[in-house]
Amino acid sequence: MARIRFRNVRHAYPPPKGQDPVYALNEINQVWEDGGAYALLGPSGCGKTTLLNIISGLLTPSEGEILFDGEEVTHFPTSRRQIAQVFQFPVVYDTMTVFDNLAFPLRNRGMAETLVKERVEQIAQMLDLTANLKKRAAGLTADGKQKISLGRGLVRSDVNAILFDEPLTVIDPHLKWQLRSKLKELHQQVGVTMIYVTHDQVEALTFAEKVVVMYDGLVVQVGTPVELFNQPRHTFVGYFIGSPGMNVFSCRVDGGQPVFHNNLLKTSHRVKGELHGKLEVGVRPEFIEFARDGIPVRIEKIEDLGRYQVLTLTHESEIIKMVIKEDQDIPAENPRIQFDPDHTRIYCDDWLVEETIHA
Amino acid sequence: MTRSTKWLVPTLYILFLMLPIYGLVSMSFKTTTEILGGFSFFPQEFTLANYKVIFTDPTWYNGYINSIIYVVINTLLSVTVALPAAYAFSRYRFLGDKHLFFWLLTNRMAPPAVFALPFFQLYSAINLFDTHLAVALAHCLFNIPLAVWILEGFMSGVPKELDETAFLDGYSFSRFFIRIFIPTIAAGIGVTMFFCFMYSWVELLLAKTLTSVDAKPIAATMTRTASSSGYELGLLAAAGSLTIIPGAIVIYFVRNYIAKGFALGRV
Repeated sequence: MARIRFRNVRHAYPPPKGQDPVYALNEINQVWEDGGAYALLGPSGCGKTTLLNIISGLLTPSEGEILFDGEEVTHFPTSRRQIAQVFQFPVVYDTMTVFDNLAFPLRNRGMAETLVKERVEQIAQMLDLTANLKKRAAGLTADGKQKISLGRGLVRSDVNAILFDEPLTVIDPHLKWQLRSKLKELHQQVGVTMIYVTHDQVEALTFAEKVVVMYDGLVVQVGTPVELFNQPRHTFVGYFIGSPGMNVFSCRVDGGQPVFHNNLLKTSHRVKGELHGKLEVGVRPEFIEFARDGIPVRIEKIEDLGRYQVLTLTHESEIIKMVIKEDQDIPAENPRIQFDPDHTRIYCDDWLVEETIHA
Repeated sequence: MTRSTKWLVPTLYILFLMLPIYGLVSMSFKTTTEILGGFSFFPQEFTLANYKVIFTDPTWYNGYINSIIYVVINTLLSVTVALPAAYAFSRYRFLGDKHLFFWLLTNRMAPPAVFALPFFQLYSAINLFDTHLAVALAHCLFNIPLAVWILEGFMSGVPKELDETAFLDGYSFSRFFIRIFIPTIAAGIGVTMFFCFMYSWVELLLAKTLTSVDAKPIAATMTRTASSSGYELGLLAAAGSLTIIPGAIVIYFVRNYIAKGFALGRV
């Protein structure tokens, strides 16, 4: 068990000849608290897997340091870091039985055989593998094999952290739910740090206490699912989390308030001082409502998704998404909308402008 | 083609394929006089005398022993050296890796005759001439590149995560390689050994150039077509039939994996 800290970590893979290195990870300063359940969320290629491999020691970062409880471990080999890692695709030792596969990490650490047996049986029970324990691992189906991989990651109770790299990709949806809640249950029982990489926001939001959103080699925001939803710090977070994502429009700022196509928008977070760069205003579809006076729009499309409806509106050439309740009426003539001032925010070069005066 | 004639083409093919082998085997049971006398499909005077000579005359049976010794040394040597090399090619990226890998293959393009003379001179200089080791080492020239190629294909089929998981599980590299990795690619090693065995077994030129008496291979003995007692064609046919047997035994053990080797395009 340890608190894992990244200090100015950057990493670049060796570039093709004659080119400048491209950083897969760009300056990460991050603390993973002991016992936390984290989800690492981001699109493919944003550096999630690189980050995991740096924690487990499979990669040494080009720059910066990693500390476990204040001790520098940047150049420690994997075996000294006490990290368990589960990969996207099943990794099993084909030549061994299921039992031996699960027992492998324990036996390697010289655990007594009676304890090994007890622990393996416990894990096998949790993953529904008890009936297969004596079979050879090679004969199992893909999701059976992935369950072994998961089991091997979970079997040790003395690890500093367990890292999951999109572990449920090959598992069918029904079993996915089940395994995810098992993982969560286990986390509550054992209290070991878990970091779960995914590009599926539902998976991230249901598993984690804290979600770390990565984009283009940077950690753009760390927060609880509610924080990410209510206060996205980067336009990417706004648009990646939520369905549909946040509306982002270019705007100008006048007297600390955004002006969108000559419509002055009210916001409770007034910007202080001058801003330079690309200015945008962001509002989630959930925080838009119909109003008597407001921005005139045209309704282009209505999608009924059961409990709510998604409306596609246009104003000038901008497309605006809006979410309303299933039973809410849609004005027939001259619809006008209004943005909720508490949830209308200004972004400068994609980052949230945080220096604001509460109006 | 109708169902009833479907068997025709493969049967004819196999028949033509087997014909020379049948000729050889049938000749080995004939006397030399009968062979020289004219063509006959079955031995008129069935005789085991040819085989008896081979199994009793040391100049003949030593040929087999010599061949087997250097082939086995060569196979073990090639696979042992190729395993780490193939691992490096399949797992690491380094400067010029692709060129080096292709260059290995080009070693197979040069005819062995090119190397016969320098090898002869070198081995004579270091007193390796006419030893089993000399031939085994010389055959490494084409067998190591082959082994690296075949093994690399099998190793690349094993996900890199297997290595990473083993390291995370607390295995050192050498323990992982011996305890986990080698058993995982056992089929590939079997196929590789078969091909090393085969190429070394059939190679004549280097084996003949680098030996004189003590390590003379069976193929070299067989080039002796005539002796003081005239032509010995029956004897030659018997010796030829026997050279097929070791290969047949080896292929029996790897028959299920060979197809995989071909599928990888590495054989």
